[in-house]
Amino acid sequence: MTDPQIALMMLGIFIAFVFLGFPIAFTLMALGIAFGYYAYFDPSRMWRGYNRLTEDASWWESTGLWIEGFYNNRIFDLFVNQTYTVISNEVLTAIPLFLFMGYIVERANIVDKLFGTLAIATRNIPGSMGVAALATCALFATATGIVGAVVTLMGLLALPQMLKARYDHSFATGIICAGGTLGILIPPSIMLIVYAASSGVSIVRLYAGALLPGFTLVGLYLIYIIGRSMLNPKLAPKPTKEEMPEVPWSKLIVMLMTSFFPLAFLIFSVLGSILFGLATPTEAASIGALGGMLLAVAYRAMTFQRLRESVYLTVRTTAMVCWLFVGSYTFSAVFSYLGGEHVIADFVMGLDLTPIQFLILAQVIIFLLGWPLEWSEIIIIFVPIFLPLLPLFGIDPLFFGVLVALNLQTSFLTPPMAMSAYYLKGIAPPQIKLTEIFSGVLPYCGMVVICMALLYAFPQIVFSLPEAFYGPSR
Amino acid sequence: APAVLAQAPLVMKMQTSWPASDIWMDFARQYVTRVEEMSGGRLKIDLLPAGAIVGAFQVMDAVHDGVIDATHTVPVYWYGKHKAASFFGTGPVFGGSASTMLGWFYEGGGAEFYRELTQDVLGLNVIGFMGMPMPAQPFGWFKTEVNSVADIQGFKYRTVGLAADLLQAMGMSVAQLPGGEIVPAMERGVIDAFEFNNPSSDRRFGAQDVAKNYYLSSYHQASEAFEFTFNRDFFEDLEPDLQAILKYGVEASATANLALAQREYSKDLAELQADAGVIVRRTSSEILEAQLGAWDTLIADLEGDAFNKKVMDSQRAWVEKVAYYELMNAPDLGLAYEHYFPGKLSL
Amino acid sequence: MLWYIRFADQLSAWFGKTFGWLIILMTFGMAYEVLVRYAFNRPTPWALDLSFIMYGTLFMMGGAYTLSRGGHVRGDFLYRTWRPQTQALVDLVLYILFFFPGILALVFTGWKYSSRSWGYAEVSVNSPAGIPIYQFKSVIVAAGILLLIQGLAQVFRCIICMRTGQWLQADEDVEETEQLLIKQAAEAASDAAAKAQR
Ligand code: NA
Ligand code: NA
Repeated sequence: MTDPQIALMMLGIFIAFVFLGFPIAFTLMALGIAFGYYAYFDPSRMWRGYNRLTEDASWWESTGLWIEGFYNNRIFDLFVNQTYTVISNEVLTAIPLFLFMGYIVERANIVDKLFGTLAIATRNIPGSMGVAALATCALFATATGIVGAVVTLMGLLALPQMLKARYDHSFATGIICAGGTLGILIPPSIMLIVYAASSGVSIVRLYAGALLPGFTLVGLYLIYIIGRSMLNPKLAPKPTKEEMPEVPWSKLIVMLMTSFFPLAFLIFSVLGSILFGLATPTEAASIGALGGMLLAVAYRAMTFQRLRESVYLTVRTTAMVCWLFVGSYTFSAVFSYLGGEHVIADFVMGLDLTPIQFLILAQVIIFLLGWPLEWSEIIIIFVPIFLPLLPLFGIDPLFFGVLVALNLQTSFLTPPMAMSAYYLKGIAPPQIKLTEIFSGVLPYCGMVVICMALLYAFPQIVFSLPEAFYGPSR
Repeated sequence: APAVLAQAPLVMKMQTSWPASDIWMDFARQYVTRVEEMSGGRLKIDLLPAGAIVGAFQVMDAVHDGVIDATHTVPVYWYGKHKAASFFGTGPVFGGSASTMLGWFYEGGGAEFYRELTQDVLGLNVIGFMGMPMPAQPFGWFKTEVNSVADIQGFKYRTVGLAADLLQAMGMSVAQLPGGEIVPAMERGVIDAFEFNNPSSDRRFGAQDVAKNYYLSSYHQASEAFEFTFNRDFFEDLEPDLQAILKYGVEASATANLALAQREYSKDLAELQADAGVIVRRTSSEILEAQLGAWDTLIADLEGDAFNKKVMDSQRAWVEKVAYYELMNAPDLGLAYEHYFPGKLSL
Repeated sequence: MLWYIRFADQLSAWFGKTFGWLIILMTFGMAYEVLVRYAFNRPTPWALDLSFIMYGTLFMMGGAYTLSRGGHVRGDFLYRTWRPQTQALVDLVLYILFFFPGILALVFTGWKYSSRSWGYAEVSVNSPAGIPIYQFKSVIVAAGILLLIQGLAQVFRCIICMRTGQWLQADEDVEETEQLLIKQAAEAASDAAAKAQR
């Protein structure tokens, strides 16, 4: 077998071993080291000390050096060197700060205020509570970027009110699941940071590039919610006067000022300072975390207990994401040392695909991977396999990244790993069936696909903002 | 000969510190073709860009460990291990050019200092040689016009090595980044001004998209040369003729690199002006004088370390003699240029 | 074994949580950099280096803590369906084959790598501020040792589970909001069911 074929085998074995359920960071690490041991296997260098022994060396000395030879493989040095590259990676420094901001904001008692206010503000729109729920989800998910928290908190606070207003089960739950998942697409998203670190695409270009597609998707969701509510008012009955009492404008404005605007302001200042180059994403995230703490204090939700919880959760989630990088950096260094990219490139070029065929194939594979795997594994491990192929088909990695981020929306929504649906089921009243949630979520998967097609037809949706902010693509 | 031909070529893994698209990868390729041709196919070089196996700044550790066999880099990328590394790239400008300092390396005792620093002082298992002497490096790219020392206060500026210490002393906040990360760092706001090296590299990574004012002529990095470093075990295990090919290939590549650099650097400078609307100026004499002043302070600081002092004394003595001859002897080429292409230069 | 597992859990949690507070330092440190840059036109020379030193230390030292709480992501859609004994057997084998070789390399090769750096008092090349990084390189070793200790505890967990058919959980700890809420909902539902039966 040639080295590149071994590299392919390495990939195949990895995919098989993933399903054994062992923590993936360590599976990657192990396979990187095992195949690296092969790649760097060089008896004359490994047993250099042993080979240089003179004849009068003692048994102890020679046995010791002989054993030492096994350990004297340079893969271990590569592993440590790559680990240092991960721990000194400057792009990834934004991750703990954004996570911390998210954990602080999700504990700031902001969701019910926000939803209550928006429900009143939108009350004259068809499907008003649905629109309010989507807006709350989108805003809250953008600020926290943590899917599970948004879906469960909304499930506890908004879903009962929607059900009381006789909303259709599927219709109501679909909105919450889809809306809660938006945080991984709309910047500042952790997923995009991870993609930037994996692909080398500038994070700020990615943020700028994902912004309009994010709004496009929200727009499609809104059209769907309002449209279906108009066509079939039974899905989303207009709340009665006693369910939704009249609120004078002046009071509504005060309510908005104290619930909607502070959070919106926080998001815009974080995003704005990033996009206009006033602060690095890491710095902006620190400002966001400070702002989140101030917000929590203002809402009288800041306790030492909550701060401590946020700190501990930040450690665990950061460790979860970044240890994957520790494994994957070594894995991919060995993969590239063995020349794995070349075989994949040769194979894919041999298929004689057009760029659009390649794009669809890649996205279908990523979609399928989204069933058994989580976004972090897909982006850190599998997306890098596609990246070297992009220039061969003339596809901009920025564009590809936005498509991937969109695509992975569906992985939270489609069974069997539909995490959003499971989170919601976990806290929803018992009369809500999982199948109802699934059927409610399905249309949103369709809209994600429509959105992807729109981006393909009008790539300017992706490129116009990054080009306006940072000049032409390179 | 059949016995030799039947032997599989020895493959040397060589990773650079440059992104795949940098013109310096072309320079490294010139080295690769020379070595492969001279060895008659016995030695093959697998040339990889920064990040393929290890990061751009990790190559020295990687060569020491044998994770890669060789690297094409610059010493300032590992000057965190010892500031003296910078003397082989970005050292004080006593009046010598990069060629003067390359002469110091090969004929003025520099090579032995390099060996002493890497092998004895730092205990690194490497052997290294210096390659193409680079044209003096431009002061770099700015979003706005900068004419005085006051204009550059508080800028977050990218440079490398002792030049970083130098510009920090002049009131800038300096970050050292690999070439491939400069433009993303500009977009991200990590830095707001930078220099990398030359019009071609700068143009290829898109400097002109993030800044329009390009300042040529500077004392911050006037004498850098490429560094070729080999894992010592790997190198010494080679047959003597292959060792010689790797070693003298460095010298051969310097000429080839220089010719290519002349053609490409000048072409890219012209196209940056014509096509990208870049405004090219020379750095003001106020800033240049402040640079020399800052070097004075820095030299005094560096001399606190015995090894640093030893190297700088050697460099100073070399430059005093050699540059005297070079400068006294050099005709005013600007005058000749002006004679044939009047009005183009604004020195 | 139980004693050791508890010891390892507590040790990992203590280190993970203690170093977690770096996030507060990081928040204020980066915010300070923004402030001095815009208010006084005096950016610091250390912000960049300190940001990754704090980030790297935080997540490396949190690795064992995360392992003790089962926080490292698994491709578990088959795994979840297995009996606990099967899970434990597979885990046990893979801890020995997959986990320990790499973690030992972190400790021993990491030691070699960082002691070299201590030898020449290496500083960061990212800025002329000369921020030391040899201590930061030692974080690789420290994290490796913690993971080694915790990994042994996980092996014991596997052995206990193979005997008893029950996974030994770590002590109560903070949980993700969704897990907490789902747990509360489940408890409320079972309480209601119990009441109804009575
Ligand atoms: Na899924
Ligand atoms: Na330079």
